[in-house]
Amino acid sequence: MNPLIPIMVILPIACALLLNLFHTKERTVKILAIIVAIALPIIPLIANYGLHYFGGYAPLAQNPTIAQGLPSFITSSALNIFHPAITYSFESAQRLFIFILGLIAFLAILTSLSETKKASGVYAFLMFMGVAAVTAILLTDDIFNLYVFFEIAAITQVGIIIASKIKGNYETALKYMILGSIASPLLLLGIALLLGITGNVNITDIVYSIKNGLVNPQNPVLLTACGLIIFGWLYGSGLPPFHTIKSAVYSKALPHGAALLQAFSVFTLVALGIIIFRIFSYLPFAKVFIIAISLAAMILSITMALMQTDVKRIIGYLAVGELGYIGLGLGIGTAFSITAGLFQAVNEAIITAFLFIGFGTIIYKTRESDIRKMGGMMIETPKAALLVFLAGLAMAGVPPLNAFQSKLMLIQSSLNAGIPELGVIMILMSIVTFMTFMKAFYAVYMRPKPRDLEIKNEKIPKATLFSMIVFLIVCIILGLFPQVATNFLQGLANSLIV
Amino acid sequence: MVIDTQIASFFTAGSLIIIGIFAALFIDNLIKKVIGLAFIADGVNLFIITMGYKAGGIVYIFLPGMTINQFAPNASYPLPFALVLTSIVIGASTLAVMLGLIIVLYKKHGSIKASKILGE
Repeated sequence: MNPLIPIMVILPIACALLLNLFHTKERTVKILAIIVAIALPIIPLIANYGLHYFGGYAPLAQNPTIAQGLPSFITSSALNIFHPAITYSFESAQRLFIFILGLIAFLAILTSLSETKKASGVYAFLMFMGVAAVTAILLTDDIFNLYVFFEIAAITQVGIIIASKIKGNYETALKYMILGSIASPLLLLGIALLLGITGNVNITDIVYSIKNGLVNPQNPVLLTACGLIIFGWLYGSGLPPFHTIKSAVYSKALPHGAALLQAFSVFTLVALGIIIFRIFSYLPFAKVFIIAISLAAMILSITMALMQTDVKRIIGYLAVGELGYIGLGLGIGTAFSITAGLFQAVNEAIITAFLFIGFGTIIYKTRESDIRKMGGMMIETPKAALLVFLAGLAMAGVPPLNAFQSKLMLIQSSLNAGIPELGVIMILMSIVTFMTFMKAFYAVYMRPKPRDLEIKNEKIPKATLFSMIVFLIVCIILGLFPQVATNFLQGLANSLIV
Repeated sequence: MVIDTQIASFFTAGSLIIIGIFAALFIDNLIKKVIGLAFIADGVNLFIITMGYKAGGIVYIFLPGMTINQFAPNASYPLPFALVLTSIVIGASTLAVMLGLIIVLYKKHGSIKASKILGE
C-alpha cells in the first residue's frame, strides 16, 4: 500500500471542502489554494508505483488468511484472483498525466487568483473538485468508480461555467447538463451490462474474463456495452457529436477556467479511451470506429474554428480538433501509435491551456473576446503577444516545439501501419490549424486598433506571464527531448497491445 | 399468464429509458424534459437492481448461525444494489443543479420553453 496514491485524490477534495467552508475569508482562500495547488504536481513525482486497495482487500490469492475460511468453489475459481476492493493503479503513464494535470491546475489557479480582484472560494472549490475527479478517473481500475468521478467532473465543469458569470453561461450549462443526463446514464447502462455479463466492475478482472473465455467475447450484450461506453466517452471528451457543446462550454468559462476544463476533457478522453482499448480492442470495428470519429473531430472542429469570431470559441474548436490526433493514435492501434497519441494528449493539454491563458490576457485588458472588435494589441502587450504566437506555433506542430514531435510520431505510425492517408490528413489539418490561429492572432494583435476599443490601463499580472513562460518552457523541453515524456508512456502502450 | 418478475422489471426499465429519451429529445417544456431525464436514470437504476435479483435467493446479510456454504450459493449479488445507491445520489444532485438552472433561466427569460431559452 502506498499512501500517496489516494492522497492524490483526497488532498484536492479536502482542500475543495475547506475552501468552500472558508469562502468568505479571502486571505485564507488564497493561501490554502496556492499551497495545495503547489502540492498537486509534486505528489505524483514522489509517489511510488503500485496498487492501492480501498478497504484494504487484496485479491484472495494474496490473502491466504481470508481464503482459508472460504469454500473451495470460491478459492479454486477465478474469484481467487479477482479484485474485491476499489483498486487504484499508479504506473509511469499515470505519473506523467497527473503531473501535467497538476501543473496546469496550479498555473490556472495561480492565474485565477492574480487576475480576480476578490478571490472566490467557490470557484477555487470547483477547480479543485474537478482536478480530484479527473485524477481519480486516471487512477481507478474500477469502472463504476470511474463513472462516479466522471459525473463529479461533469458537475464541476458546469459549476465552473456558472461561476464564470459570462453572458449565456446558464443556457450553455443547462444544455451541457441535459446532454450529460442522457449520455451518463447510457454509460452507466454499458457498465451495468459489463457487470451483468462478467460479474465484475474491476477493469483488470473484466479483461481477464473476456480474454480467458469466461464470457463469450462475441456476446451481443458485450457489443451493446461497447457501444454505450463509447457514447459516454464521446460526451466526456467532446468528440462529435458533442464537439459543438464542448467548445461552447470552453467559451463560457473564464480563460483560466477554460484552460483547466480542456485539460479535464483531454485526460478523460485518454483514461476512458485506454479502458475501451483494454476491454474491446479485440473487436475489429472498435478501432475503425475510433479512427472514424477522430477524423470527424479533426475535420469538423478545425473547419468550424475557421468560421468563429469569438477568440475562446476558436481555441475551443481547435482544442476539440486536436483531440482527434489522440484518437487516431489509439485507433491505429500499434504500440508506437498509442505512445504517440498519449504524447499528443500531454502536449495538447499544455498547449491549449497556454493559448487560453495567453488570449485571456487580451480579454483581461479589453473585456472583449470578439476578434472583429479587436486589434493593435501587439503594442499594448508585446511580451504576451510573443508568448501567444509561440503557443500557436506549438499547436500547429512547428519544430522545435512539443506538438511537432508527437505529430511527427503519429504521421510515422500511420505510415508504418500502412495507412498513409491518415498522415496526409493530419498534415493538412495542422496547416488549417495554423491558418485559423494566424487569423485570430492577426485580428487581435497585428491589425490597427479600432477606435472604439477600450483598453484597461492595468498591467497584465506577473503571475499570468509566469504561467505562460512555464508552459513555454515545458513545450520547449518536450520538443527538444521527447523521450522525457515518451519513456513514461511506452510501458502503458506496450501493455495495451499484448 | 404470470410474467416472471425479472423479465417484467427489465421490460419496465427499458420502457422508462425509451420514454425518457423521447421526452428529453422531443418535449419543449424544460421541466418535462428534466422529468424525462430522471426517467432515463431511474430506468438504468431499475435495470441494475433487476440484474442483482435472484429467484429463490436470500438477502445478502450473513446472519448468526448461517454457514458460509449456505450463504455463498444462495445470497443474491449485493454489488448492483450498492452501485444503485451511489447512482441515486448522483442522479439527485444532477437533477437539483438542472432544476436550479431552470429557475434562474425562468427568471431571466420568463419562460420554460427550451426552444426559446436554449434556441433549439
